[in-house]
Parts: sequence; structure tokens; C-alpha cells
Amino acid sequence: MPIILCLGNEIISDDRFGYEVAEALKDDAVFCGTVEVHFAARAGFELIPLLAERPAALVVDTIRTGHDQPGTVRMHDMGAFAPSNHLVNSHQISLPTALALARLYGIPMPASIEVLTVEAADLETLSEALTVRVAAAVAPAQQLIRKWLNSKVENHVSFKD
Amino acid sequence: MKSITIDPITRLEGHGKIHLFVKEDGELANCYFQVPELRGFEKFCQGRPVEEMARITTRICGVCPDAHHMAAAKAADAVYGVKIPSAAYKLRSLVYNAFFAGDHTTHFYALGGPDFVCGPDAPPGERNILGVIAKVGLDAGKQVIAQRAAGQRVIEIIGGKKVHPVTALPGGMSKRVSKDEQAEIQKLGDQMVEFAKFTVKVLNDVVLANPAYVELILSDSYAHKTYNMGLVDEQNKVNFYDGKVRVVGPDGKEHAKYEPKDYLQFVAEHVEPYSYLKYPYLKQIGWKGFVDGVDSGVYKASPLSRLNVSDGMATPLAQAEYERFYATLTHDKSGKTMVHATLATHWARVVELIYAAEMVQKLSRDDEITSDKIMEIPTATPSEGVGIVEAPRGTLTHHYRTDSKGIVVEANLIVGTTNNNAAITMSIKRAAEGLIKRGTEITQGTLNRIEMAFRAYDPCFGCATHSLPGEMPLEVIVHDADTGEVVQIARRQC
Repeated sequence: MPIILCLGNEIISDDRFGYEVAEALKDDAVFCGTVEVHFAARAGFELIPLLAERPAALVVDTIRTGHDQPGTVRMHDMGAFAPSNHLVNSHQISLPTALALARLYGIPMPASIEVLTVEAADLETLSEALTVRVAAAVAPAQQLIRKWLNSKVENHVSFKD
Repeated sequence: MKSITIDPITRLEGHGKIHLFVKEDGELANCYFQVPELRGFEKFCQGRPVEEMARITTRICGVCPDAHHMAAAKAADAVYGVKIPSAAYKLRSLVYNAFFAGDHTTHFYALGGPDFVCGPDAPPGERNILGVIAKVGLDAGKQVIAQRAAGQRVIEIIGGKKVHPVTALPGGMSKRVSKDEQAEIQKLGDQMVEFAKFTVKVLNDVVLANPAYVELILSDSYAHKTYNMGLVDEQNKVNFYDGKVRVVGPDGKEHAKYEPKDYLQFVAEHVEPYSYLKYPYLKQIGWKGFVDGVDSGVYKASPLSRLNVSDGMATPLAQAEYERFYATLTHDKSGKTMVHATLATHWARVVELIYAAEMVQKLSRDDEITSDKIMEIPTATPSEGVGIVEAPRGTLTHHYRTDSKGIVVEANLIVGTTNNNAAITMSIKRAAEGLIKRGTEITQGTLNRIEMAFRAYDPCFGCATHSLPGEMPLEVIVHDADTGEVVQIARRQC
């Protein structure tokens, strides 16, 4: 079954975005039984088992590019993210690097991985609340995820394990 | 005067900056290590039920969630004055050792290992885990992944969830282990021990067989004679989960051995205006600045420190490696002669990896872990408690004070890396002094050798669980302090 993998840390302000999106999706009947929604406060190596053997995956995460206004939601293909040479550690290795490692070992990864990001305003404050602009981005993100799900249906992506 | 900035530091949690101030004659004048860590966690804890701390504090750090889980649970036990049942004690110890084995594996192969396996002067693009795999072989890489998976599986069985365990509560554990699960853990424990043996072989073949690396490990550029700190059991053997805190001087003499609840009698914290991270020191010795020796309160709490404060390991294979470690580095296998070489921490980590794997194997064969008696319901009025465990990076202290309903009114945390803040600063300076001289071209290899000085501590400063895309470029700027002119820029591309 495809997975919507929401990443983040529930106690660091806008890094909580993935958690909020996951909670919103769990209450949305459209997603029931067709896709697994999973929140994970994990990164790097730890994501490989969650993505392995999935026909498709959408990763939801917070990002800080400095190029967009906080709360800006964008969809990216995983190819937009270049692997890091540094493989900094189990925690901070980039997702593309983790995928490269998985491919090296022949672990079946989704043929299609897309990434939904929200531009963060605050990734430092210990808080169980999003900043206003990022909080307002949860609903638009939900709409984009519906479109993603529809596109997978149209493209006949298998929705069964 | 010239300023050299290494920012950000690669391959460690969070972001930090190193400022090296170089005189006109090329000599190093001073070194500042800045850490922009997240602040205010103690404040964040206030007003929350103490039994929730074991789950909340796992979010402090994406690297040591299990350590915070256990320290918080032990502190909560103390807050309620409850002694947990023997089966719960064994389950906590078992899962904690499984976590340790996985964490040390990651550091040895993905973080510290590249410096030795690929070489300190290897291009950054090769000095990483893929470079390690290229050197030691694909099968070895598979074993690394399998070892990590084994540790995570044990955590999932006992801790209820992978990565972020949830089952340790005041008074014990919330989930029992079935016979089938015990059998599975036994197999995983056996696998861990075999992997630990394999790691010793890698250490021998790649690091110890290379005289240049042994010379590097033992060089004065990477040595500090400070006090050492670590938990020990009643026989003064290394123990990650429980025991008394033992502090031993650079001369090998015991300075203190105390119960966790008494930590404030022995540890105080120094503040520098340029860093958010405090500098813990030994209260009875005092803060004398960034200097080593018996008169300075600076101490280290690391895998090497744990070996230095102990009289050995409680498991046979680890004890044999402990003796080889000291016999090789001090010609005294008893361990009574201190090892002060920072880079020997990597080897100490391997000794601990063996111990952790053996402990998983041993405890998995104890039928008491399947007992139903895993919880002693707290009945006392909650008040105050301290929990200390050894995190992979050093002694981790959680201290909570609550109201009569168990709501946290005050919290104090000293995390593993914080213990080593002063020592890390000193190590960076010492390494830089040995490497940065007049006319020295600052190469990528030079920078990496400076970073190696603190990478051995496996420092962890970050709290955010992840970043996308995750690249961490490295930029070095050399200024002429008199004119402000930039005289050199070195960038490490990701």
C-alpha cells in the first residue's frame, strides 16, 4: 500500500507540521483504506523500512529554503533533492542519501516518491503550536495530497500490498 | 590576527561553529567552540505530569531517545520513591543495551569510521559511509544495516515502538514480553554478538594494523589529562543503565563515587558568554578555565571515560577486549593506568559495543524477562527525583521536582555531550595547535583532522529530528584581523 509519510518533531514549532497534517489526514475518509498515513519523528536510515516495498510514497516535511514566504507549500519530485556526499549520520543523512543506500543493497524502494514541503518560520522554539502562517498551510497541503492521491489512482498505481 | 571559521561541523548532530584565532606569526592564539543549541527545555517540562516525561524527552534528540526515555523513567521512579520489580529492571537494561549496540554501530561505521577506514585526508566525497562500504565490502555494509535493524527490533518488542520507546513508566514497565518474543530477542542477541566480533576484526584490520593510525591515536595532538566520569556497578564494572557515578582523576585516583541523587554536590556548571551550552565541572575542584590536570575541574564523560573509571567489563568478550585495549595503549591490562588519547575513544566504543551485545544475549536468556511482575504501582506522594544513565555520549542526568500531584515544577537536565563541552573545546584547540602553523596551507585534510578531535566524542547538540534535504556544506574563511581582509576561503561542497 502507498504511504504518506509525515515527518517532524511535535515539540518544535513548525517542525510539527508533518504531525498536524497526519492528524488531519487520519480524519479524512478519502484516505481510509487506500493509503497508509504515518507520522514519524525519524530520519535517515530509519526511513528505509517505512518506504521499503511501497508502490508509491509521498513525504510531508518542513523545509527552510529562505526563498519562500513561511507557509508556502510546494510539491517536489524526489529527484529535486540531491544526495549529500557527507551522509552526516543516521539522523541527519538526507532522505535521498538514505534511498541511495537502500538501492545499493537492493532494497525495493517506491518507483515514485514525491515530497510536499512547507516553508518554516520557526524551527527553534520548543512549542506544541505552529506559527500562524504555517498553521494556515495545513488545509492547502491536505488539498494537494488529495490531488496526489487522485493522480495515483488515475495512473493505476497499485493500492494493495 | 587571523580568524578561521569551520561552519557548520559535518557529521554531528545540530550545528556548531569553531573559531580559530591565528596570530600573524601563524601560531594559534585561541579557540572558541560555539553551540547554538535549542534552549528552554527545562521550562518546557514545567506543568507536565512527571510520568509523561519519559515520552516527551525522547523528542529532545533524534539520536538518543532511548537514553532520555530511561533517564526520565528512573527520575520518575525516584520522584515516587518506588523500586521497580526485578523483571522490569532486567527489561529496561536489556532494551537499553540493544539501543547502545545500535548507536555505537552507527558511530563506528558511519561517523568515526570514515576517518580511519577511508583516511583522514580522503576527499569528503569519499569519507563517508559509502566510502566505508567500498573499503570493507558490501557484505559488511549489509551486516551494519542488519545490526541496526536488530537493535531497533529489540526496542520495538520491549519499548513498544521503534526508535522512540514508550513503555518505561514510574514503577516499571507497561508491556510484558512473551515467550515467542523472548526467543526472537535471543536470536537477535546472538546476531549482535557475532557482529561485535566482526567489528573487532574490522578495527584490527583497518585501524590497528596501520602504524600511522596508531601513531595518530597516541599523538599529543589528541590527548588531554582530565578527570573522567561514568556509571559503575558494585564491582566498579561499566554499567550503562544503573549504578553509582564514579569520578577518577587523570592520575587514576578516585575523586568521588556518589549516588545519582547527590550529583549537585559534585557537579556545577560554568557559563561562557559566547556559547549557549554550559560547561559542567567538578564542584569540589572548581572551574579553572580550559585546562587539564588534577587541579582543573574539567572532566570527560565518554566511552573512554567509562573504561577509565571502571575496573573492567562485566562480560567475558568485552573484558578480554578491555584488557587488550589497555595492554596495547598503556602496557597495563588492568586498566589502572589511564588512557588520555581522545581518538582511543573509538576503540573504547568498540569495547562497549561488545559489552552491550553480550548483555542483550545474556539478559535475553533470563526467563524472568517474561514475568508478569513488571510494575510496582507508585503509592507515595511524589516530590523530587534524579535519574542517571550512561548515554552513548556520556553521563545523562534528569532531575525533576514535582508538586504533590506529580506535576513538574522544576527540571534540570545535563545531557551526555554537555559534560564534554569544555573537553571538546580543549581538544579542538590542541589539535589545531598541532596542525595550524605559520605558512600551513589549510587543506580539507587539515580541517578534517581538527574535526576528528571532537568527532571522537560523538557530540550531539541538535534537537530537531530531521532536515530536508540535509546537506551540510562546510566553509572556511580566513581573515586578517588587522585589516579585515579575507585572505582565504575554503569551501567543502556537499
